Amino acid sequence: MHWSSILWALFQILIFPGLLFLVALALAAEFVDRKLYARLQNRLGPPWFQPLADLIKLLAKQEVVPDLADKFMFVVTPMFALTAAVTASFYIPIWSHQALCSFPGDVIVVLYLLTIPTITFFLGGWYSRSVYSMIGAARSIMQLFAYEIPLFLAILAPALLAGTWSLSGMSLFYAHRPLLSLLNLLGLAIALVALLGKLERVPFDAPEAETEIVAGSFTEYSGRLLALFRLAIDVEMVVGASLLAAVFLPFGMDFGPVAGFGLYLAKILAVISMLSLMRTLFARLRLDQMINFCWQIAAPLAFVQLMADLVAKGTIARGVMIP
Amino acid sequence: MALLQKIVTWARLKSPWILHFNSGACNACDIEIVASLTPQYDVERFGVQLKGTPRHADVLVCSGPVTRQIKDRLIRIYEQMPQPKFVVAVGTCACSGGVFKGCYNVTAGIDTVIPVSAYIPGCPASPTAIIDGVVKLLASLEATEEKAPEPVAAEE
Ligand code: SF4
Repeated sequence: MHWSSILWALFQILIFPGLLFLVALALAAEFVDRKLYARLQNRLGPPWFQPLADLIKLLAKQEVVPDLADKFMFVVTPMFALTAAVTASFYIPIWSHQALCSFPGDVIVVLYLLTIPTITFFLGGWYSRSVYSMIGAARSIMQLFAYEIPLFLAILAPALLAGTWSLSGMSLFYAHRPLLSLLNLLGLAIALVALLGKLERVPFDAPEAETEIVAGSFTEYSGRLLALFRLAIDVEMVVGASLLAAVFLPFGMDFGPVAGFGLYLAKILAVISMLSLMRTLFARLRLDQMINFCWQIAAPLAFVQLMADLVAKGTIARGVMIP
Repeated sequence: MALLQKIVTWARLKSPWILHFNSGACNACDIEIVASLTPQYDVERFGVQLKGTPRHADVLVCSGPVTRQIKDRLIRIYEQMPQPKFVVAVGTCACSGGVFKGCYNVTAGIDTVIPVSAYIPGCPASPTAIIDGVVKLLASLEATEEKAPEPVAAEE
C-alpha cells in the first residue's frame, strides 16, 4: 500500500465521512431534535450551538469514578459505545449506492453494531454499582429484547425482497424499482418505533426515566465519560436515521454527490423530525406496556411485512408482477 | 492555551445544568424553582437543564435554611458534584435563615455549610428573579475567569 492510500483511508475514517463529520452531524441532529421539541411545546428552545457547548463543557469537567464501581469497565464502556456507533456508519450508503466499505452481509453487521451501544449502557450501568444505575441497566437490556425483534424483522424483510444482504446492494435494487419500496412502508413505521426504543427516548425512555430512577445507567457518569455516552447516543440517532433512509427511502442517489448529499440530509432530517414528533406526542410507557406493545403489536406487524415481501418476491419470480 | 480556556469558559457559561435541592425550605421556594423550569419561562434558552443526579450538574440550586437533619446530606450532594461547581441560594431562608433564623434546628443559611456563589432573596423568590440570579451568576463568572470555590470537607 502506498502512503497516499493510507493517508486517504485515514482521512476517510477520521474526518470525512468518518468521525469528525459524524460528530458534527450528530450535534446538528441533537439541535434539530431539541429545537423542534421546544417549538412544539411553544417554547423558544436552545440556541444552535447548545449541543456543542454541552459537549465541550462536559469534556472539560472533572470526571468522578465511584469507589464501588469497577474502574476498568466504567471507563471503557463509553468508548465502546461511541466506537460501535461510528463504525456502523461506514457500511451505510449515504449519497451514492456505494457505502464506504461494503460486503455481502453488512446489514447484519450494522444491526449488531447498533446493538452494542445498548449493551454498553447495560454494562456501564451495572458496573457503576449504584442502585439507580443498576435498575436502569436491567431496564435497558429488557427493552433490548423487546424492540430488537421488530427492528430486525422490519429491516430484513426488504433485504429478503432485494435478494441481497448488503445495504449497498439493497439501495441499488430499490432505487431501480421505486414502486417496490412502497411495499415496505409498514416496515418503515415499525423501524421508526423500534428506533425510538433503541435510542431510549420517550415513550420508551423507562431505562433513563429521570423522574423515577435519576438518570438510569448514566447516574454515576460525569465529565468526559458522560460526554462520550451522550455523543454515542447522538451518533446512533444519525446512523439509525441513515439506516432507515438507505433501506426504506433509497431514491435520488443517482444525481451525483452534491444533490445526493442534499437529499440524504433531507431524508435524515425527516426521520429525526418524526422521532421528535413522537417524543412530543407520547408519554413514557411502563416497561411491561412497552414489552407488550413490541411483542403483541409491532412484532406481528413486522411478520406481516415479511410475508408481504415474500409474496412479492414469489410473484416477481413467476413474472406475475413486473416492477 | 488561552484560546482553549476561552472556549471552555464559553461552553460552561452556555450550558449550566442545575440540580435542585430542598435543604429544609417551606416548599414555596421549591414551587417557584419548578415554575421557573416550565415552558412559560423556557430556561433552555440559556442552556439550563434540570438534571436528576449531582454527577451531571454544574449548579446546585438550594432553597431553605439548612436544617440540622439535612446538613450532612447537603454536604454529601455537594461533594458528589464534579468540579467546577457553583451553588445558588434561592429565597431569603437560603440566604440568611430568613424567618427561621435563630431556631434551634436550623443553621441560618446555605453559606454556613457550603460556599455559595449567588444569593437570590425573596420570600419566595419569583421565577423571574431566579432566572435573573442565574444569569447574573454566569455573567460574574465570566468576569472572574472561572474561579471555582474550593470544596469544603464534611465536618462532624
Ligand atoms: S424564603 Fe420564604 S418561601 Fe422560601 S423557603 Fe423560606 S419561608 Fe419559604
